[in-house]
Amino acid sequence: MLTVKGLEAYYGNIRALKGIDLDVKEGSIVTIIGANGAGKTTTMKAISGLLNPRNGSIQFMGQDITGLRPDQRVSMGISLVPEGRAILSGMSVLENLEMGAYHRNDQEVKQDLENVMDRFPILRERIHQAGGTLSGGQQQMLAIARALMARPKLLLLDEPSMGLAPLIVADIFKIIQEINQEGTTVLLVEQNVKQALKIADYAYVLETGKIVTSGTADELLDDSRVVEAYLGGGHSS
Amino acid sequence: MADIILNPYYMQIASFILINIILGISIYITLSTGLLSLGSAGFMSIGAYTSALVTMKLGFPMPLGIVSGAMVAALAGILVGIPTLRLSGVYLAIATLGFGEVIRVWFNNLEITRGALGIPGIPQMGREITGSLREFGITPDMLGLRANQFSALILFFILLILVILTVWFFVRLQRSRIGRAYAAIKADEEAAEAMGINTTYYKVLAFAQGALVAGFAGALYAHTTSFINPGDFSYHRAVEILIFAVFGGSEVIWGPIFGAAFLTLMPEVLRGLADYRFMIYGVLLIVMMAFRPQGIIDYQVLDWLKKKVKRNKSASPLDKQKGGDA
Repeated sequence: MLTVKGLEAYYGNIRALKGIDLDVKEGSIVTIIGANGAGKTTTMKAISGLLNPRNGSIQFMGQDITGLRPDQRVSMGISLVPEGRAILSGMSVLENLEMGAYHRNDQEVKQDLENVMDRFPILRERIHQAGGTLSGGQQQMLAIARALMARPKLLLLDEPSMGLAPLIVADIFKIIQEINQEGTTVLLVEQNVKQALKIADYAYVLETGKIVTSGTADELLDDSRVVEAYLGGGHSS
Repeated sequence: MADIILNPYYMQIASFILINIILGISIYITLSTGLLSLGSAGFMSIGAYTSALVTMKLGFPMPLGIVSGAMVAALAGILVGIPTLRLSGVYLAIATLGFGEVIRVWFNNLEITRGALGIPGIPQMGREITGSLREFGITPDMLGLRANQFSALILFFILLILVILTVWFFVRLQRSRIGRAYAAIKADEEAAEAMGINTTYYKVLAFAQGALVAGFAGALYAHTTSFINPGDFSYHRAVEILIFAVFGGSEVIWGPIFGAAFLTLMPEVLRGLADYRFMIYGVLLIVMMAFRPQGIIDYQVLDWLKKKVKRNKSASPLDKQKGGDA
């Protein structure tokens, strides 16, 4: 569904991505794990179009989308839930959700609004409250709900667990799994490696702008380097 | 009575207040996407010169002249906007200020604009309309007014109607799809982009709308004063327009409207301080930044005013009822 080849991105003279190859199969959950500054967010920005890569190509459903604007990619079915959630804090929950469907003008927006509120009942309760007054977990739910309003085929999630309590993280990951089971392909960037590998079908490990290893979640959980570096396991066991 | 109210000096101040309100709206529109443009004075001058020249040299009727002034300014806005909107914050402010100065120097050196001498004898709105009305048999003395009073009054009402229409249009715009996109871009440009809003398009649109409105105000200014020169559209004008938004507030459209009205009136009321106007503006800027960076009128003030109006409305029938019971 999504194929990234030789992706290179720069911030000024700093090479943030040094040639990345990724493949996301339709219907799967793929995760990119790695430490701070490895280039995870940069990869997500390049895929969603917020950042122009210097080299490389991005193909989505057989089409080259490398030169397309972010809004064109949203229309094609790629939605990003940005790092830090990016809720429009002055707008109400409802307005935030409506903004998610900005590019759509079909008749089913209302129905989709009902659907996301069924999925996230807390948003229905807070529908007229300003987005900025929600708690961190609720904001994350709103950010995911807003992205769903665009009816994505591929949902990009950039660190959905950031700054959330473990119980809420578990909730969010359960919801991500549900969304995937209903047919949306998910590309997930996470620092919470344990949780991410639990739900992912396939994983890439990113270090300083390069993919150092990849494999199915089970393969990576058996890989002693991955376990040592990211799961805090290792020598004693 | 009419002599006191229709004093040409008062009427002129009233007209300037209305024109400045339109200028305040122009800076507000670009600010509503989070872009600070100081090019309003430049776009204003384009509108003023265009309308003055097409009515005088090409014989355009005045309404058409004003519309072309606004359109040419909008076109200039698009041309300036596309390359400069990659910039943000202070860089955009500097670039647009530079643009305004370039335009001023250009008008200062063009032959057709008569350089620093300016263009006198631009058809004046009030007088033109008084003339046309006379053809229909409507004369000032039918209202018991002198000709200049009548024309000042006509000018005032025309400007008032145009201001109301402009405000109405942009209040509606804010509640529309376009207004939502502006607000989202202002709140978080990257988030807006991620949501599928074509931010470049909307930023250029807002910039062009701001230029259009500034050009419109400029054209009205030319046909109000009937004399323009490049000095009317200098750096001081750009700062003045900025202060309307800084002082009045730029969160809601009523902010710059209030700012424009108040700050145009103030130096006239405090006539003795008029010479110190720009000094006062400077102090005002510092004080506002320190104590009320959002300006006098923000959402809270607006809500408070709305509640007050509502309470007064609902209070009056209640009072009557009480009176009836007793």
